[in-house]
Amino acid sequence: MVSSPPSSSPPSPVYLPDGDFDLVKILIVGPFGIGKTTAIETVSEIRSLHTEEPMTQAAASVDDLVVDGKNTTTVALDFGRLTLPGARIVLYLFGTPGQERFRVIWEDIAQGALGALVLVDTRRLGASFEVMDLVEEAGLDYVVALNQFPDTPEHELDLVRKRLDLEEHTPLVTCDARDRTSVLNALRTLADHLVSRAGADLS
Amino acid sequence: MSQGQGRRLVPSYLAPGGSSASTRNSLQALTVLIATGLPAKPHHTPAQQRLLDLTAKGSLTVAESAGYLRLPMGVCKMLASQLVDDGYLMARTPLSGIPDGIRTPGAGRPPKSLLERVRDGLLTAL
Repeated sequence: MVSSPPSSSPPSPVYLPDGDFDLVKILIVGPFGIGKTTAIETVSEIRSLHTEEPMTQAAASVDDLVVDGKNTTTVALDFGRLTLPGARIVLYLFGTPGQERFRVIWEDIAQGALGALVLVDTRRLGASFEVMDLVEEAGLDYVVALNQFPDTPEHELDLVRKRLDLEEHTPLVTCDARDRTSVLNALRTLADHLVSRAGADLS
Repeated sequence: MSQGQGRRLVPSYLAPGGSSASTRNSLQALTVLIATGLPAKPHHTPAQQRLLDLTAKGSLTVAESAGYLRLPMGVCKMLASQLVDDGYLMARTPLSGIPDGIRTPGAGRPPKSLLERVRDGLLTAL
């Protein structure tokens, strides 16, 4: 979905829970209009927040770029939060555009991330190549989630896997960004994958 | 550094409140900020005062503070680092036991135990 501009009044702050929670982040990445913000809003316990980061180079185009009156170009970041009380974890979800020209901001956001959920659309798989390159370059493990739109054609997951040239161990799931259980399931698959990858590192 | 000055006994990233000359570089998007209660001074900019007001009632990450104050994250980091250095804000690292500054992109993976907690937490959330 299109990143919505901030509304006129900022939401009242929802403070962090008391106690020793560990704060972690997972990136939700994908091309413009793929549903990153929707996925975040679907699972976030706070109204999703929005910042606009200035770009060092002017690369005005469509997608997540905003050009303000001063002709400075910014890139929009959306994020939300999900507290997992039993696990003493506060999980942040950062919706990040994954294009090469956002590299500087990308590196900052990717720092310390546990992994990434890469949203892809069967109708334009090629739009996700650049994102996946950046995720891999950052050394992040990821899961690919095929976003389901009402008019998504029936497709073979194997075919998508082949066209995206996914490694054998990289999970591929379907995900409806508007459905909480569906997004949480995709995140759980990612967490499972991250745990198994961490195990693989030890061997 | 002069001979008489001596060696710093505690690494800067472990200094109380995270206060050190390198604060600006060590603040991350998920560094937790909370006001120390020291009242704002007239020399503080309106943006700094808003940040102190925001974190007076509870703790928030740098990213959330930026979102609520409508500031770019980089600007919020700069404001916060100055306030941390001057003792108006306390900064807590996102992960207990892992100091800021040692986590660089691609440098080591998160501990497996942490990933297991995230997985188990998500299972409960479903």
